[in-house]
Amino acid sequence: MKLNESVSTQEPQDLYLPVMSEVLEVKRLTELETLYTVQLPGGRDLGHQPGQFVEVSVFGVGEAPFSISSSPTRQGVFELGIRRVGLLTEKLAELKPGDKVGIRGPFGHGIDLEKFKGKDVLIIAGGIGLVPMRSLINYVLDRRDEFGRLIICYGSRSDQELLFTDEIAAWQEDPDVDFHVTVDRGSPQWEGKVGVITTLIPGLDLDLDRTVCCVCGPPVMYRFVLLALKSRGLPDEAIYMSLERRMKCGVGKCGHCQINHSYVCQDGPVYHYPDLKSLEEAL
Amino acid sequence: MAAKPRVAFFDFTGCEGCELNQLNFENQLLDMLEHVDIVEWREAMDDRPGEYDIAFVEGSLSTPDCIKRINDIRRRAKVLVAVGACAVQGGINGMKNTRPIEEVREEVYGKDKYLFPTLPALPLSAVVKVDVNVRGCPMTQLEFLKVFTALVMGKQPVEPNSAVCVECKLKENECVYEKGMICLGPVTRGGCDAHCPSFGQYCTGCRGLVPEPNLKAMEEILVKHGLSVNEAWKRLHLYNSHELEGLKS
Amino acid sequence: MDLKFLASDRVEAFVSHLMQQKTVYAPQHTGKHSVALEKVDDPAAVILDYGRTMQSVKKFFLPPRDELLSFDLTDHSFTPAAVEPLDAILLGIHSYDRAAIDRLDYNFSQGHPEKNYLTRREGVVWVGVSFEPDEFHFSGSVGISPHETAGFDAFLTRVREGYLVEVLTDAGRELVSGFELPPAERPKPAPGHFHQHIFLPQAKLNEVMAASYNNEIWAEMAEKCVGCGSCNIVCPTCYCFNVEENVDITVTGGTRERIWDGCMLREFTEVAGGEVFRGGLAERQRHRVMRKFKYLSDKTGHPWCVGCGRCTAYCTAGISIVSIVNRCVSDFEERHTTAM
Repeated sequence: MKLNESVSTQEPQDLYLPVMSEVLEVKRLTELETLYTVQLPGGRDLGHQPGQFVEVSVFGVGEAPFSISSSPTRQGVFELGIRRVGLLTEKLAELKPGDKVGIRGPFGHGIDLEKFKGKDVLIIAGGIGLVPMRSLINYVLDRRDEFGRLIICYGSRSDQELLFTDEIAAWQEDPDVDFHVTVDRGSPQWEGKVGVITTLIPGLDLDLDRTVCCVCGPPVMYRFVLLALKSRGLPDEAIYMSLERRMKCGVGKCGHCQINHSYVCQDGPVYHYPDLKSLEEAL
Repeated sequence: MAAKPRVAFFDFTGCEGCELNQLNFENQLLDMLEHVDIVEWREAMDDRPGEYDIAFVEGSLSTPDCIKRINDIRRRAKVLVAVGACAVQGGINGMKNTRPIEEVREEVYGKDKYLFPTLPALPLSAVVKVDVNVRGCPMTQLEFLKVFTALVMGKQPVEPNSAVCVECKLKENECVYEKGMICLGPVTRGGCDAHCPSFGQYCTGCRGLVPEPNLKAMEEILVKHGLSVNEAWKRLHLYNSHELEGLKS
Repeated sequence: MDLKFLASDRVEAFVSHLMQQKTVYAPQHTGKHSVALEKVDDPAAVILDYGRTMQSVKKFFLPPRDELLSFDLTDHSFTPAAVEPLDAILLGIHSYDRAAIDRLDYNFSQGHPEKNYLTRREGVVWVGVSFEPDEFHFSGSVGISPHETAGFDAFLTRVREGYLVEVLTDAGRELVSGFELPPAERPKPAPGHFHQHIFLPQAKLNEVMAASYNNEIWAEMAEKCVGCGSCNIVCPTCYCFNVEENVDITVTGGTRERIWDGCMLREFTEVAGGEVFRGGLAERQRHRVMRKFKYLSDKTGHPWCVGCGRCTAYCTAGISIVSIVNRCVSDFEERHTTAM
């Protein structure tokens, strides 16, 4: 094979220029996390899949990847749930409605919805892993008849750090959602379960033949969740995982997000678990 | 617009070369003053109020009085910036730490030594929390301006911490090891644009060690080039005695 | 093939002839031992007989500091950086560096084709020159001869009295037209011999490298390596970059720039919150070598190392990529024989 035979015939693009977009709403979720509602110029649709991300930038401060928290079924605007952990996110926390941020994307390989349709959808979200998973949850809820059961396991460090508490309350009420939540450390007011997220898995009511599962959480969580899922007998083919890496350019050039031969910004962040087995650095 | 940040400058044990460098901006000094109110600066003015948004501190801590003063500055400053090798890693003053303190005291002050209490020279971070480091001996104007603008914008400046070698390679500098010199560049933090090697000199390590330095590999490099490991260790101590002490324990 | 002859004493005149057509970049001395590709102002300064430049031609298409846009903090508007075609003659380029550009062309045209790089790539006329392999070159092991003419418009092969000139394309013909070159009186000589070799061709290396993931060599290299990142920064096929914001002292505007980055540097994989995904030097060395001999070659069939020897020549610790790969090969073969 000649090298130049495999290249794209697309016209070269300005890959690094952001689209200046307006922040419509800023809602504090916890002490650390904020939910931003953002609109592209002219209310243009972002056109994303659940699990994809955008690069968000503030001039003079920087740019970083954030997963999209809203479902593509809710068009016109999109939402980003962002934790304050560094330079850029500190600056983002100061944003007010009407302020502008730069947006590039959506990027990456999201959830292959065709593979999820007609199936029972099991979602395992740890910490801010709920942010991207909320996109899938709301997609399933908005297109309820296209999916089987919706089972959600959500683990958080403490009850003060629970995200989207009003939506959680709604999911708990909804007879159509099988919702489970646990916290590592509960406050005296906490009446729910205490323990790591894997403790939720043994008790789940699963139909193994028709369940697909998507896992998203901190790096340390994946191996333990996998073990728990395997001991329930869930086949590898039914498992998808969304991985966090440093996706700097978003377009498969800068190299920062590479796991072995795979660029997370191109092949991921959502991977089919069987494909991850050849990536030694992944989990 | 919000009130201008109040900025103060302080010095401890050092040569004040970094502060002189701050006054040397000429072209940018007026632009800087647009954005801040300078409320305390012994080198440039003499009245003194109480609280600071940003305190730039030069020099290492070497007397009990220094410790009292730095704690006081820390209490009054929202952001504390260590400026220059003495403040960041103890600097050249740290060389005294390698000898018994009484011996040093006697050598410097002779029979009057009891009038001058002294301590091992410490970087600011050994006593108080330091928010930002501006490294180098002296600190470079370019880097100081970068830090300054970042702080005026209300963001944490990014501290360069890859080795000097990166900057030499970007500039296509001939490696000074090829000229038979001991260079501390491979284990020294860059951010200086490889200033010394660019002028044919070796790196003296003034910006401090890179995070997780592989000093054993550094020794092998010296041996491979037929250079003195002993001499290299002496040079490493020139600016980094305090840090090396920390690595040992 | 129409082979012409350029006598040593006419090289300067030839360079002047090229300079009349376009800007010329060529190797020139920057120190007693070092040679760099620089814009030619004085034809006499051009060095065609050299070992290697510290930086390859990559620097012209992917500059170490590359402005992406400038922004205005008062109204949050931005202006894209103007990117111009290089539109120049690159003279005295070695075959491995031309081969490296084929690889970068692939990286920047596959998937999302990138305008910045591809625009700069336009308007280049390539004039190659043969090289005499030194103690570090091993491009022969990755299929690149010192006489390889692929990708060049014209190629100079060093002979004792001067250079044999091959004109390879229309652009090359245009370049030499008007400059009298007599026909060569003898054929192209055989290329020089390499002193460094990788024991196996790439077709077999993929399997070897796949089996070398847990080799002890990575930990051994981590003992010797200081993690300075020089090997990344001098590599002609490394293209990783970071993006930085620079704010003017007036705090009214600034620029967003991309700067070269390297997978040997600790922060390379660090994400917000502090997690580093390749924290150890062993893992970083492995990633660097696997990228050259496995990850990208699995995908394209081509090794992503062109055998220039830079990473080894400029490593202060003396770590040799050829030795690493050969160690993987011999360990693999040993295991293979004992297994049988």
